[in-house]
Amino acid sequence: MANLGDSMHPALPRKGGRGGLSRQERLAYWMLFPVLGVIFCVVTYPFAVALVQSVTATRGGKFVGLLNYQSSLENPLLYASLKQTAIYAAIVLPLEIVLGLLLALLVHRTVRSSWLKLVLYLLAITPIVIPPVAVGVIFRLIYAPNYGVLNHLLIMAGWIHQEINWLGQPYTAMLAVASVDIWQWTPFVYLVLFAGLQTVPRESVEAAQVDGATSWSQFWHIELPYLRPLLLLILFFRLADVLRVFDHVFILTGGGPGTTTQLLSLYLYRIAFKFFDTGEAAALAVMVMVGISLLYSFITRLLPLERD
Amino acid sequence: MRGRALLWRVVALPVLVAFGLVYLFPLYWLVATSLKGQGELLGHIVPTLVPQAPTLEAFHTVLVEKGNWKLLRNSVLVCGATVLTTLTLGLLITYPITRLPVSRRLRVGVLNWALSLRFLPPVAVVVPYFGVVRTLQLYDNPLALVFIYTLFNLPFSIWMLKSFLAEVPLELEEAAFVDGATRPVSFFRVVLPLIAPGLLAAGIIIFAFAWSEFLFALILTQTPRAQTFPVGVQAFVTQFNLIWNEMAAAGLIALLVPLILMILARRYVLAGLTFGVIREK
Repeated sequence: MANLGDSMHPALPRKGGRGGLSRQERLAYWMLFPVLGVIFCVVTYPFAVALVQSVTATRGGKFVGLLNYQSSLENPLLYASLKQTAIYAAIVLPLEIVLGLLLALLVHRTVRSSWLKLVLYLLAITPIVIPPVAVGVIFRLIYAPNYGVLNHLLIMAGWIHQEINWLGQPYTAMLAVASVDIWQWTPFVYLVLFAGLQTVPRESVEAAQVDGATSWSQFWHIELPYLRPLLLLILFFRLADVLRVFDHVFILTGGGPGTTTQLLSLYLYRIAFKFFDTGEAAALAVMVMVGISLLYSFITRLLPLERD
Repeated sequence: MRGRALLWRVVALPVLVAFGLVYLFPLYWLVATSLKGQGELLGHIVPTLVPQAPTLEAFHTVLVEKGNWKLLRNSVLVCGATVLTTLTLGLLITYPITRLPVSRRLRVGVLNWALSLRFLPPVAVVVPYFGVVRTLQLYDNPLALVFIYTLFNLPFSIWMLKSFLAEVPLELEEAAFVDGATRPVSFFRVVLPLIAPGLLAAGIIIFAFAWSEFLFALILTQTPRAQTFPVGVQAFVTQFNLIWNEMAAAGLIALLVPLILMILARRYVLAGLTFGVIREK
């Protein structure tokens, strides 16, 4: 459907107007440019502000050159936060993708009733649409030291004998915040892959089954190739989200204990709004924006995007 | 063949049920806690798994006594305004790039630029915006939030609207032109009614996105005059005395609104989360 426009537009002869533009083209530009212009300014202005802030002193506003960049790069906490972000991504992304894929396959192979599929669908969109702040609340109720229900369940089951301070110890705190991400986003992976499995042509699956293909080879040779572009897209969107993670970690641990769950976003927040170091925060913001743009332009090359 | 299908089912059922239980428990716990009275919380050192005497006390306290209905009102106003501005701007951008003969480069450029904004960590952007908002004297003003939410939801609306518009055959509009309709008339009479359901769904999703936003609301607002509901919820969690039932009630209210909306727009949710790159059905 998207090609409807395509087949018309390039073929249109460039006739009319003095600028070599047709009336329709001129109308398009008249509509587009004011809006895009304003948005461009609105998006670029803060970036310009950040650039200016990053080369001026926080108090006094004198030009200090690259001093802010230097001091932000010299802060070991920056590298710690990058490391925490990498650890977080390394826990969360593979688990979400594997679990989501397993669930999608399981449901695709076994569930026939469309009623049940709808129920599963609604269950799966639920965590995705819950505001991250509410997700933070839910998991405070679970992991908290005193009233947290996880400890009580584990004690009741006899697996532990005294309460564990899940959010107060480095390793468990990281696992706890990662588990929240997995709880919230595995269903998203499931939904996308399940939607993808539905598009695998029945004929090729049936042909393979007639040929006596095992479940495994049916998955490996027929379904997986169909899912490959979707897996890339999932990786793209989830990676973008992991780099932005803020809300639930802020509510669960605030980056603690110490700085063990201080992901990149939380670190930037702390520099800007706890230490009020505008210069350093701006320098960091500029570097993050540039870094992410590079990452973005690299990743989108791999993406099977329908671009127009 | 039959045997294999049966085997899958025998394996699948327990696995799915186990997953389901683990996965649903957090939600159950939120609801259960929100229904407990203050007495039940203090009376039991070990939390009761099922509320002994379910009560809406916590909801009443959160909304009425602690005045959080003001934040709820702010949220509704901010999100509603965001939906209107985002869809209007989105249409102003997508109409020309999908239905008028612009160069392919421009079209792809706009779409790519929109997608790139998805990758930007808001926390990097909030630092400069904080300064801008202060300069414009919009600190603690809901308008600042509407402004920023519009900007952040615009890319999504561009991708969604583009796919809705692309599905309206150009011939329909051309027929209207032949009948003497001007472009605005044909837009409002022909195109708009056809994309209305999609527009509604996109609006719902934008509303829910804006509803969930926390970081900008936290940083750019300060008083109940402008704070949104998630900021209020956060205050329940980070305050010194954790009042569990009220915290749960606040969390539950925060999630019910987008949940209901998203169920209404369920056919479009996946497309929404993936910028319309993945379409269902």
